[in-house]
Amino acid sequence: MNIDKLKRRDFLKIMGWSGVGTTLAGCDLPSTVTLEEGKETVTSYMVPEEFVIPGIGVYYATTCQECSAGCGVHGRVREGRVLKLEGNPDSPINRGKLCQMGQSGLQTHYNPDRIEKPMMRKDGTLTEVTWGEALDLVDSKTGSTSGLSGDRFAMLTQTISGHQAVLLDAYLESIGSKNHYVHEVVNNAVWRQVSQDMLGDASPRLRFDRAKVILSFGADFIGTWVSQVHFATEYSHFRTSPRGMLIQAEPKMTLTGANADLWLATRPGTDGVLALGIANILVSKHGKDISGLPYSIQQLIKSYNITRVQEITGVSGEHIVRVADVLGERSPSLVMAGASAEGFEHGYETVAAAMLLNIILGNVGETLESGGTFPFPQLDTRTGNTSDLLAFAKAAGEQRLDVAFIYGANPVYTAPDYLGMKEKLDNIPFKVSFTSFMDETAAQADLILPMASYLEDWGTHVVDYQAGEGLIGVQQPLMEKLYPETKGFGDVMIALLKMRNVPAYSQYDDYYAYLRDAFTSLPAALKIQAGSEKVFWDQALQKGFLTVNRTKQPLATRTVAINLPEMSQDSGYPYRLIPSARLGLWDGRHANIPWLQEAPDQISKVVWDAWAEIHPKTAAKLGVKEGDLLKITSAQGSIEAKVYIYKGIHPDAIAVPLGQGHEEYGRYAKGRGVNPLKILDPAVDKKTGELAHHATRVQVAKVAKPHDNLVRFGGSETQVGRKIVATVTADQYERTEGGSGHVA
Amino acid sequence: MSVTQYSSLPCVPIRKVGTEHSGSHRVPLISFLIVALFAGLVLLPVIAHAEVPNAIPPVGTYDGEDVKQPIEFPHNIHADVNKINCMYCHTYARRSKVAGIPPTSKCMGCHSVIATDKERIKKLTEYWEKRQPPPWKKVHDVPDFVHFTHEKHLKRFVFDNEGMPVEHVDEVCAFCHGEVKKMTVAHKVKPLNMGFCRRCHEANGGPFDCWKCHK
Repeated sequence: MNIDKLKRRDFLKIMGWSGVGTTLAGCDLPSTVTLEEGKETVTSYMVPEEFVIPGIGVYYATTCQECSAGCGVHGRVREGRVLKLEGNPDSPINRGKLCQMGQSGLQTHYNPDRIEKPMMRKDGTLTEVTWGEALDLVDSKTGSTSGLSGDRFAMLTQTISGHQAVLLDAYLESIGSKNHYVHEVVNNAVWRQVSQDMLGDASPRLRFDRAKVILSFGADFIGTWVSQVHFATEYSHFRTSPRGMLIQAEPKMTLTGANADLWLATRPGTDGVLALGIANILVSKHGKDISGLPYSIQQLIKSYNITRVQEITGVSGEHIVRVADVLGERSPSLVMAGASAEGFEHGYETVAAAMLLNIILGNVGETLESGGTFPFPQLDTRTGNTSDLLAFAKAAGEQRLDVAFIYGANPVYTAPDYLGMKEKLDNIPFKVSFTSFMDETAAQADLILPMASYLEDWGTHVVDYQAGEGLIGVQQPLMEKLYPETKGFGDVMIALLKMRNVPAYSQYDDYYAYLRDAFTSLPAALKIQAGSEKVFWDQALQKGFLTVNRTKQPLATRTVAINLPEMSQDSGYPYRLIPSARLGLWDGRHANIPWLQEAPDQISKVVWDAWAEIHPKTAAKLGVKEGDLLKITSAQGSIEAKVYIYKGIHPDAIAVPLGQGHEEYGRYAKGRGVNPLKILDPAVDKKTGELAHHATRVQVAKVAKPHDNLVRFGGSETQVGRKIVATVTADQYERTEGGSGHVA
Repeated sequence: MSVTQYSSLPCVPIRKVGTEHSGSHRVPLISFLIVALFAGLVLLPVIAHAEVPNAIPPVGTYDGEDVKQPIEFPHNIHADVNKINCMYCHTYARRSKVAGIPPTSKCMGCHSVIATDKERIKKLTEYWEKRQPPPWKKVHDVPDFVHFTHEKHLKRFVFDNEGMPVEHVDEVCAFCHGEVKKMTVAHKVKPLNMGFCRRCHEANGGPFDCWKCHK
């Protein structure tokens, strides 16, 4: 039989019959179904814990570290191996749920590309060394006799909190440095700044459960925004009795947008204009009182009449009126803004325009509440952003740094090419990477300190967005280290503090000892019940978190100056590039996890690759079809990706997902797809200094290469008129099926 | 790859969600010891080699390889001469899918005083003092795609089997493991392949759905 002509049905027939044959014949063949004896070791326990029974799982609580939302996790452990992660039902953050990134924590932990031993650069190449050698080198460069001056030392980390942050601060203080840069690509730094300025609280609590309507300007709150697992549950409450209405306005459809009742494609960069246009109708048609707002804001709202807004945003007047009607009639509502609003030079003002709607609609105090102040500022979270990345690049570029410690951040991968991060890092004579994987930054480091995975390490975590009560998430190891020569971050920090002769830390052998001691000094009010310190500690570990009261004040309602510029056109670069984040690969840190590579993108269903998402109209204009290769060129460089055509994007925009395009980072990530961050234009939000990641202008051209399929799940973007679940109306049911009295 | 020790890690499990086991046959270990001693001294010689009621033993033989173990553990001295019940050491068999290799602490429970002059016990004591369990080699195994549970088989053939004294559990163990009490270290004498399982399930009315074992 010609294999090319083999039909699916024939294939199944053959497989079916051969399967039966194998089963019947195979039953008694020892060679195929038995194992060789004496090849595997089966080791017993020395002294087992009373609760351990081989073959039966024991559950331990810990805190997820796959993003900075800090979900509680229960890990099933059997025979000393962690086998499955699920959400901690008691955690107020995720309430027993866990997203695909949390579930995939196992593949971060068991990843075959983990770095097992410290590595030092000798004659230009990284060579394995012992911890003794590694720490001696660190001591000579940063120890108390190194003569390192504080302002020439920097630490670049991911979002960090809890006792790890305490140690980090103590270390910086011992060196006399203030250079702690906190970097996250997927962040909400602009929203935080706007909330701080307008409401007096950087992280207000969002009451989805009270809102009747949600209007979101690109805030992908069930995908990538702030605390997605928490918000997904909140969203389900919002959607039930009575069903809330979700309106999403953004240039590229996100997972949240796909769930919206009304999805509006805005021209990139015009979300703020749409917000002011809606405000205009709320005032003129629904009589919302804005006399309390500053005169300039009143005039601004008046100036955005429907004709003008329609023209700028590309959203039809009919839709704008409908959104305003829904908001005007159903109160309270909730207005949010995320990446597509933040990512421009006027990102701050765009988010402020959205926040202004909350003030006009009277949502402040109703659906926006004080998140409160965390009582222990030393443990509070240092939220990551991109302005710190720019500041770090600047410091390195100006040769202001002698030593840099990099933990959890991968600046060589996440920095746009125009920053020249690779070259700037070379200006730092001694770069230490605290990492588990050979990522782009580690590949350039002078010393690599291999980190234990978060399932092997201790820690405490305070997250930025906390619902209701505050909490400190507790992280405990679920199993012994897979590689004995990896160390926890806290353990290394304790060792570093000893090098600086900081007396307060000299008594601790390791991070565990420090943490035990730190827990005893927590205020008595936190302790779950009266009892010994041992009881408190055990209960904290069993529960997975400590509950802490946050002090709350009523929110303010202030306004800030808003000035939205015209979005200029450039015929040379007619499109805007959207580097879209997704729940999965995130900012690229999860590209080395095969489960997440295999999990299709929620919108395009593409696996194991990057793609260029364009509107059918754009595709027609360019004369491309799905799978054609497209070259996307900005003033900073170009990338090539296969075309994916979808209606859920504005015709002026081209979206390329974040996360692929790694030059290093292990076998699953390396050399796969492209990284859109590389070709970003050097634009920043004028108020916050955040990278304006949606502002890049690009031109596109079809690359003449043989057509190749884009590998993705599902062949069709529509239900082609067929419903997935067939439904009939109640009337029709009465008429045709005999009604409720009739039993079929 | 060796199995990691919990005891060296100071982490704390969630006990309320903790274990999944049924808890239906929790006999204190000490009672086994007493039974074993009693049986060994008085009763067993009289009723030795009783057959398992309500059971048709599986048919099939196999001659496995001689597996060299770190210590030549004499099953015969323990189970035959001293009549110690199999489940005294393989205590997890009735609670879990695996029978479990006894923890080294269990060996030392007796051998810190018994037969301490013997070569094998000296070797065991060495391991114990190094805080290392002996690296036993696996003799009986089924592939990862087969779900076999000791717990359910013991329930069917011993604990829920009327007229089956628990003292004779070795007769049931022998269905799949052969007469281990006549061996020193375990030697595989049954094929433990699908046909072997299938025929026994057929004869004894065991479940026959594919997914019962392949799940």
